[in-house]
Amino acid sequence: MDANSIMASLTGKFPEDIYDSNIESGIRIVAKVKPQNVVEVCRYLKDELSFGHLCCEFGADYPDRNEIEVIYIIGSYDHPVILTMKALLPRENPVVESVVPVYWNANWYERETYELFGVKYLNHPNLKPLVLPQEMLGEWPLRKDYEGFPNKTAKNLV
Amino acid sequence: MDEIEQKNVEHTELKDVGYDDVPGMVLTDTNFISDFIKKTKVQDVLNWGRKNSLWFMVNAMGCCGVELLSTGMAHYDTDRFGIIPRNSPRHADVMIVSGYVTKKYLPALKRIWDQMPAPKWVICFGDCAISGGPFYESYSTHQNIDEIFPVDVFVPGCPPRCEALIQGFVELQKKIDAKKDKGTDY
Repeated sequence: MDANSIMASLTGKFPEDIYDSNIESGIRIVAKVKPQNVVEVCRYLKDELSFGHLCCEFGADYPDRNEIEVIYIIGSYDHPVILTMKALLPRENPVVESVVPVYWNANWYERETYELFGVKYLNHPNLKPLVLPQEMLGEWPLRKDYEGFPNKTAKNLV
Repeated sequence: MDEIEQKNVEHTELKDVGYDDVPGMVLTDTNFISDFIKKTKVQDVLNWGRKNSLWFMVNAMGCCGVELLSTGMAHYDTDRFGIIPRNSPRHADVMIVSGYVTKKYLPALKRIWDQMPAPKWVICFGDCAISGGPFYESYSTHQNIDEIFPVDVFVPGCPPRCEALIQGFVELQKKIDAKKDKGTDY
């Protein structure tokens, strides 16, 4: 399968959920997805289009658009196409369905996105902070308006 | 729960027996003896022994930890100075803060420090441990480790070479010899 047929199949199956799709090259395709149906789209990608490898899942904060993007980068072992899929969430209450039932390795990605951006994942098996201590939960340090940085505290500058 | 209660019972029995009856033995809960020894020449002998057996704990916390590990290996051969890497904090005299200290790791580091028997010393190894280094103004690291631990020697560098760490040990030996170190204030 090449990039055009994959994108045609995806938009044909989910005409309501997939929008702003773009074929950047023969190996990179980009699409945006409605956050309500992320799990169905991912299940279709894995079962029908042989996108078996979730390379990465992370967040990006856009305060001017008042949105937090959750970005899924999904690759395949059967064809060279890599899909970048973005789900746009409101910044006040970012809630999205977890894709752990489809891609099991999303577990730690989603825990990290949760502790750094505050994206709540529904039906996640173990949603707790991954790296940060428990008492830093709620600060969301990778959001653009985070102001908890220590300001000029280091005194032994060498 | 039963094991804990049994241990407590044994402990109280031991306390009841006591060692006050042993002839020639004095029990004290003050540091009168050590304070007295510090005024005499015996302390010089003790410090000579301490400065020549600075066993450090292998606690590689960041990328400087690689230099820390290779310092203890055969090429630099710090055994000839009595500087021996130990794997347990209970065997060690020197704790080397060899990297950034994150907010999550600091409680564990304090616990390791409490497990080490006195006298004990701290060496800050690398820019991250001294001032934060590249993680200066980071949301998840602690700066100014010298406010938490009594640091005797700072070894700057990013990372410092193994020779720099050996020189740091030599400086620590000089401080112990001159009785100006912070580690023996126990």
